[in-house]
Amino acid sequence: MSRLEAKKPPLFISEPLTGDAVSQSLSLLSGILKSSYGPAGRLKQLHNGVGGCVCTTSQSSALLGHLSVSQPVLRVLTASVRNHVSRFSDCGLFTAILCCGFIENFRSLNVAPFTVIKISKHLLSLCMDHLKSEACGCRVSVDFSSVETLVCLVRSILTSKPACMLNKTEVDHLTSLVLKAFIFTVPCHVETNAVLGKCVIIPVKGRRVVDSTVLPGLLIETPEIQLENSLAVKRTGSNMIKIALFSVSMSGDGFNPEEGTIAVQHGVSLEVSELNQLLNVGKQLVKDEVGLVVCQKVMHPSLKQYLKENGVMAVDRAGLSLMEPLGRMTGSQPIASIHSLSPGCYGSLKDLCFEGFASKHFLHLIPEDTVICSLVLCNRSETAWDELKRVCETAEHVLQLTVKEPLALLGGGCTETHLASYIRHKSSSLPASTFKDLDCSQTQYQLVADGFCRSLESVARSLSHDGEEILTDMVYGHCWFVPSGSPCVSKWSDLVSKCGCGMNGNTEDLSWRFLQYQSGSPFIQACPKEPSVKVADLLTLDCFAAKCSGLQVALETANLILDLSYIIEDQN
Amino acid sequence: MAFRDVNARRHIGLQQLSSLASTGRTFLGPMKSHKFIVDESTNQSRLIFSAVRLIESLDLTSAVGQLLHETIQAQNKEFKTGMSTLLFLVGAWSNAVVECLQQNVPVPAIVSVMSEGLNSCCERVQCLQIPIHDVKKELCSSRVRPKAFESRTGQVGRDSLTHPWNLLCFQRDISATEVIPINSCSHQGDDCNFNKCLVSPLAGFGSAASVVKAVSDKSSSALSGSGVTASSCITRKLTHSRHFSALGKSHFSSQQDNFQGYLSGPRADPCGCRGLGHLAMALSHGNQSSVKLLQSIAAYQQERAECSGSSQINIAEIVTCCVLGLPESYSCVSPGFVTLVSPEQATVIKHLADKPLRILLMDGDLTEQYRHLGFNRPRNVRTVLEHPNPQGGRAGDLWLSRMSDILMSFEVNLVLVKGSVCKNFMERCIASRILVIGCVSRDVLCAFGAATGAQAVTYLSQLNASRIGNGAWVELWAASDGRAVDLGELVPARISAGGIALLTAVLTTALPSKAQLLEDQFWTLLYRLHHALKDGRVFPGGGAVELLCLSHIQALEGQPGRPGNDRVVTEFPSPWLAEYKSVVLQALASGWKRYLAVVLCNTAKASSELEAGALVDHHLQKAAACGSSSAYILEEFRRGGVLRGGCDPFPDQFTDLKVCDNVAAKTEAWRRALDLVLLVLQTDAEIITGPRRNQILNSSVSNKFMFL
Repeated sequence: MSRLEAKKPPLFISEPLTGDAVSQSLSLLSGILKSSYGPAGRLKQLHNGVGGCVCTTSQSSALLGHLSVSQPVLRVLTASVRNHVSRFSDCGLFTAILCCGFIENFRSLNVAPFTVIKISKHLLSLCMDHLKSEACGCRVSVDFSSVETLVCLVRSILTSKPACMLNKTEVDHLTSLVLKAFIFTVPCHVETNAVLGKCVIIPVKGRRVVDSTVLPGLLIETPEIQLENSLAVKRTGSNMIKIALFSVSMSGDGFNPEEGTIAVQHGVSLEVSELNQLLNVGKQLVKDEVGLVVCQKVMHPSLKQYLKENGVMAVDRAGLSLMEPLGRMTGSQPIASIHSLSPGCYGSLKDLCFEGFASKHFLHLIPEDTVICSLVLCNRSETAWDELKRVCETAEHVLQLTVKEPLALLGGGCTETHLASYIRHKSSSLPASTFKDLDCSQTQYQLVADGFCRSLESVARSLSHDGEEILTDMVYGHCWFVPSGSPCVSKWSDLVSKCGCGMNGNTEDLSWRFLQYQSGSPFIQACPKEPSVKVADLLTLDCFAAKCSGLQVALETANLILDLSYIIEDQN
Repeated sequence: MAFRDVNARRHIGLQQLSSLASTGRTFLGPMKSHKFIVDESTNQSRLIFSAVRLIESLDLTSAVGQLLHETIQAQNKEFKTGMSTLLFLVGAWSNAVVECLQQNVPVPAIVSVMSEGLNSCCERVQCLQIPIHDVKKELCSSRVRPKAFESRTGQVGRDSLTHPWNLLCFQRDISATEVIPINSCSHQGDDCNFNKCLVSPLAGFGSAASVVKAVSDKSSSALSGSGVTASSCITRKLTHSRHFSALGKSHFSSQQDNFQGYLSGPRADPCGCRGLGHLAMALSHGNQSSVKLLQSIAAYQQERAECSGSSQINIAEIVTCCVLGLPESYSCVSPGFVTLVSPEQATVIKHLADKPLRILLMDGDLTEQYRHLGFNRPRNVRTVLEHPNPQGGRAGDLWLSRMSDILMSFEVNLVLVKGSVCKNFMERCIASRILVIGCVSRDVLCAFGAATGAQAVTYLSQLNASRIGNGAWVELWAASDGRAVDLGELVPARISAGGIALLTAVLTTALPSKAQLLEDQFWTLLYRLHHALKDGRVFPGGGAVELLCLSHIQALEGQPGRPGNDRVVTEFPSPWLAEYKSVVLQALASGWKRYLAVVLCNTAKASSELEAGALVDHHLQKAAACGSSSAYILEEFRRGGVLRGGCDPFPDQFTDLKVCDNVAAKTEAWRRALDLVLLVLQTDAEIITGPRRNQILNSSVSNKFMFL
């Protein structure tokens, strides 16, 4: 007899944000994220403590993916950041740090959450309008007819993660590879709805980064070296190679139904009958003049042997990730059953060849005209390779997002400080009707606006990890770094050389001030200007779409968390 | 999630790195001390010879230990050399970086200056590279041979005092013989080619006498050491002298084929293998035991390459086989595949000897249950037997007889299987005189496929006539003096085929604990030679490259401005950077300086690290005074070694024995070492995920962690 335990009542926690545990966890999480931010960010070793593999990273997707968070409030935060990263790849840490900043700054205000939310939404709309206007001083337009801005964009992403362990030459090499790969994915003949192609990353670990390369078409790893001269592939009349693509397993175990039992007469072998069916498929393929058979899963050795003997090349274990690009590249329909072969599902290829990288061997499928390419990515150590792969994927994604919206934002903290300056300026010159519409007083509005700006500036401040002082200038509102331990000098311009994004130099007097702004010291913020000279050589740039979304997600998540009044925990 | 701050005050990660790396100090340089690793819980111990084996044997569950292990393995996988250098530099640089941190140098400055500094040094040392072609010319033009042997003899005396292990290897070298093949490039098993052995006149070399002596005195033991490859058949060839080849007849004899085309004895032309032998010597760093094997391999492969046109050492065509119980002097290279077989198999081999065999290659297991990878065994199939047959045997017997019927019907004599072989089937095959050998590597299968025309199958049911190869043969492997090896349960056998590219390095040793050392040493040297040929150039060895790095760093320090700005976006204005720059560059230099000092100490060229440091400084000053330090270093190298000191006990010993290093392996080891140190330096926290979190939460160290 079993006993039933009585259900425990759910636990109600009111005012969840006021608890000590929550604020401790929140500040710990924001500490981890802030310390990882930027090209000088510190790395985190993620491991299971019992000898599993070690992931050294400063990337939000890896960090948040591994953290097991028990606080419900933090789970809301990490879930929305991860959702943002899954859609944009970039600006995950920015979003998370900004969100933490909003929560911390707004919570300490003595203003009702309801009002805070309304005012902050208004501030967000001011920001978004500014970012979308032509006059915005912190964005640059991306010219796809030249490569310079694109290089800046890719380089900024590659250098933002130190765990990739790249030096200058390696950054240059990879930048050009990532761009090249991107250009391969842009279709040459644009019809009404152009679709970008795909860049598949092929791992080659333990090698030098400069051994990486980009190839048009796809690479399939073949474990056995084909010794015989197997490149004499059967071709069709138009000198193309006919290809059949199977997504179904051809290993000969297909008689395995989901449930139930099959009773078989002694002496009857299901394996043999299954193999005979496979061989029939093989005969059909030979008859249809197929030159190459690719199977996502495993092929029976007898079938492979049969095909080989009839001049058909067979490659198995291509893997799921290759199937979609393979089908797209060759124009073939993946065949999901060995019982029906329609001639319409075959695709075609221009050529085939063998490539070897390090100790791996690949079959290189070369199509006529393609938007699919392969990036053979090398890095010396496993942990650095993993980081580099994530970074390259981000860079490819950012380039795709930038095609849709050919804009970029200034990096190196300049966008954040510029926006903060803009909001400070704007919020001091709002008409009284705005406050009436928002149902708040001007003081309340000022308080929230100040918290908003300080949150933005705290993101810029997170770029400093070694005690650098951070300045901002009163003209453009950019962000400047002064190394720690610098002596006292009369002129700021002796200490700073370039702003964070690299657009402005120290030649003119830009009236710098400390970014750690005390509310006690009043100053009048003029509207930050648009710099006169545009695009220096090595600008640090961020993805426009990702950062705009990050700003919105951060504020909305913070508002959601501030609005929480109860947590109901099921204790069973 | 548990979270631990790594940088509490001093960097824990870097300290861990440096203490782990300090264990490998004695592996640096050509004179290595061996170590015992003892497991206290089981009292088992293991003899360790190299940094890779050391790191393998340590219990590295910490994150930093894991990363170190990964780094060493990556270097080992690609180069098989440079791991001790890597390990040492990891330790030296992490110490140096900790010192930088204590002087309040910001982390980005350390990262940037060190990585740029290393980059700059790697570019600078490129001017020291010696093209392979020049190395060969230089090494062959000097009167290397006799003098080199003498010097080694001198070395033996010293070595054997400190390293009794080496006694055997060096004894053997006293009257070293050389092996060169004069095998023609017959690939298709053209029998008459095998016996076209030219016997060069035994002219003009001192060591020739010992070979002749070995021939006459068959009882000469390993310690007299001459018969490296002087087998009985060779003996016959030698006694027949050059008239043998003049016969031009085709005697097919597998016994003679044992050393087909091989000739023992000194070479008439020291450049006969186009300097590869000397290159191997220069890359061996004093590890004599493998050099001779390498010279044989190089010569054999060069001979074949004349036909194919490539000039590289093909590693995939070489395997090793350790034979325990014979003295080390019996190590040799045999064409074909040498492996250990059971006595039952040996009887089959005796039966099959002298016959051309039909060979079958299998790329899976040879068992009834085996299915190809990816085949999922059905769980829900029930076999119904309607008319039980009391006479029918077990299902397993049916399979056995079916499979052996297949083999019989195709008249297969020899089966090489990649995986394991069913024991019952093996017995049945032995009974029907079919030799089945399991656990054969893919490279071996490929080589036999290429030589015999056999194509591998997964199941015997796939077999058809076109898959079977012809022209293989098998024999029991006999040591060079004809001494049959019947030392234990397993017997070495040699399987070969006409024109096969495969070579087996048979490594013999009387000490089981040394087998791994011999194997590691052999592969290390093989990879060194392979990479030297692949790179097309080598570095002068003996500290030349490190010395130039030190002198280059001195030059960098003097330069105004920074070497570069790669990883940090925030740019430091120059006055503050200059201060950091010199501190950080000094830290970088200290790695190589300590490296040189420890090598000098380990090779007894200096009595203490302090003295060694002074010696290095002395040479640095001389290089600086010379104007062009690279020219000075190259000149010193030509004169016979860069870091020759006053207290060198044998000042003239090494003059002809030049040492070279691999280019890519060395610079990659540096880069990997620095990358690891900088990666750990930039890490500020350890995050422990998974179930271990709860253990930590309830343990006594939980106060050192934070929880989310």
